[in-house]
Amino acid sequence: MKQFILRRVAQLALVFFSVTFLTFASLNLVGDPLFNIVGVISGIPDEQCEAVERGEMEDTQSSGLNLGDCALIAQAKAQNNLDKNVVERYGIWLSDMMRGDFGTSFVNGDEISDIVKERLPVTIRLIVLAQTVALGIAIPWGVASAYRANRGFDKASTIGSFGLLSIPNFALGVILLYFFTLRWQIFPSRYENDGWWSELKALTLPAFTLGLGLAATYQRLLRTDLITTLQDDFIHMARAKGMSDRHIMYRHALRPSMFSVITVFGVNTGALIGGALVVEQIFSIPGVGTELVEAVLRNDPPVVISLISVVAIGFVLINFFVDLMYGYLDPRVRTS
Amino acid sequence: MSETETTGESSHVEAVLMDDDMVDAVKKKLGVGFWIAVGWLGLLVATAVLAPFLPFDDPDKLASGPARTGPSLDNWFGTDALGRDVFARTVYGARVSLVVGFIAIVFGMVVGGSLGMIAGYFRGRVDQLISFLFFTLLSFPGLILALLITSTFDRTLRTVSLTLGVLAVAPVGRLARAATLVFAEREFVQAARVIGARHFRILTRELLPVVLIPMAALALLGMGVAIVAEGGLAFLQLSVEDISWGVIINDGRGIRDLQENPHVALMPIGVMFLTILALNFAGDRVREYFDVRETAF
Repeated sequence: MKQFILRRVAQLALVFFSVTFLTFASLNLVGDPLFNIVGVISGIPDEQCEAVERGEMEDTQSSGLNLGDCALIAQAKAQNNLDKNVVERYGIWLSDMMRGDFGTSFVNGDEISDIVKERLPVTIRLIVLAQTVALGIAIPWGVASAYRANRGFDKASTIGSFGLLSIPNFALGVILLYFFTLRWQIFPSRYENDGWWSELKALTLPAFTLGLGLAATYQRLLRTDLITTLQDDFIHMARAKGMSDRHIMYRHALRPSMFSVITVFGVNTGALIGGALVVEQIFSIPGVGTELVEAVLRNDPPVVISLISVVAIGFVLINFFVDLMYGYLDPRVRTS
Repeated sequence: MSETETTGESSHVEAVLMDDDMVDAVKKKLGVGFWIAVGWLGLLVATAVLAPFLPFDDPDKLASGPARTGPSLDNWFGTDALGRDVFARTVYGARVSLVVGFIAIVFGMVVGGSLGMIAGYFRGRVDQLISFLFFTLLSFPGLILALLITSTFDRTLRTVSLTLGVLAVAPVGRLARAATLVFAEREFVQAARVIGARHFRILTRELLPVVLIPMAALALLGMGVAIVAEGGLAFLQLSVEDISWGVIINDGRGIRDLQENPHVALMPIGVMFLTILALNFAGDRVREYFDVRETAF
């Protein structure tokens, strides 16, 4: 077990560095962050500024500030470490981020850590709620269809789950929005946060949008595992002792049948994060997703990098813990 | 031994054989559902390919009918806020969505498939390196990676398709690796090795044909995933600038549009749903038809 944990920690570290570096590099190598800070004067060729530095040329002044263009560029570069190479900047950025300092937005100068603090909890609540909805539906559903496998209810739910898995989450979101908010007006059409009740109401439809497809996935897995478990001797034993079917299903059969669901739980959280970004757009939820899209549209690399990194790190950590838990629950995994 | 007994026995044997054959025949059928799914996909592809030659409206033509009307004989799926014909837009959207899905999965199959086969065949260091690459790719929440690429590069059809192709590399590669690991131990591969066949020949002539079967099933499922992912990107304003299903649905999902003419969003959603359903169903059937577990042992 100890070796298993050590190997997973090493893997975690490697993945962590590759994920953050990839994110950082891709947004720094493509596009010009300097342009976002100083505007068009970032187009001034380096040779011209070098000539100014050597005193061979007068610095141009198109920005309307007291500072010359080249001086302005140099200042911006120094402030944002843009004069260093990508690997160095990655190191600085990473160590800053570890201490909770994400830097500031290039566009409006907002502290990114404030943005993260404000937006992340909303998205996390949405994802937790979606997982709750998914498990809350999948467990009774899976138990009911495995209880009488291949009978009417089971066959109907196979069709049902197949259909649910074929609806893209944004399509389901639009459908739910249309019926529950616009036609029947059960749920509010905009996000409000005066207390937990109004937030719960606002997050219910998005959570169902994300959770229904997931419920279908979990139900399929749970059903298969339950059918296998129900053939075990200890189930016959329990039945012979005269325990009620409900007691056998929920108390005896359910727990050993949860392995597959737990395995995909971590992976699906990643899919949920992606899905949450889209669903947040549909229901105008002020979470990480809406902020990320706004940052992309206003071309604000520091914000984009920070948000993507936070999400990616969260995802890597979740999978790490799910792996550990899985290794703890099922000894066979530790050696593979 | 009397004649009747012999014939009785042989007919019994025959009956058993026939039973087995019939069981096989029943099991080996793709089923009516599969052909309906294929029929829908065929119809869709044909309509999408032939769209410019069919008597549909121009998808971008304004006031193709009165604005915001429901489905009618002139405009089968109704018209949107600008009076554009929703049916024509859905057909032209299919062109983009299907191409994106197709290119993405072909890219995933070629790159992921080759990497996965190399990893599964050579094992050792190569395997560790490639498996780690897959692991890293899978550590990115898919849509985030796509977001990263389309926001740093551009939003042309090519970039979006290849981006989604990159996402398909890891899942396809893992499957190819797993299948190759199993098949590389089989007699026919060992035999090829013994007679001195080169690695390249073994990979392409012996392993590729058998690994391709489970990959085909995944390809159908993967195409559905890619089409959905493109729609997701469209909702984040980061997909192609052309008309795709995601773009049309995103156009029609505003509160006012949904309230006054929900068909603008709901009609393409219906078509998209049927397509994903058909792809999932066909993929599922293909997987059962060529049950990998059965061929592996």
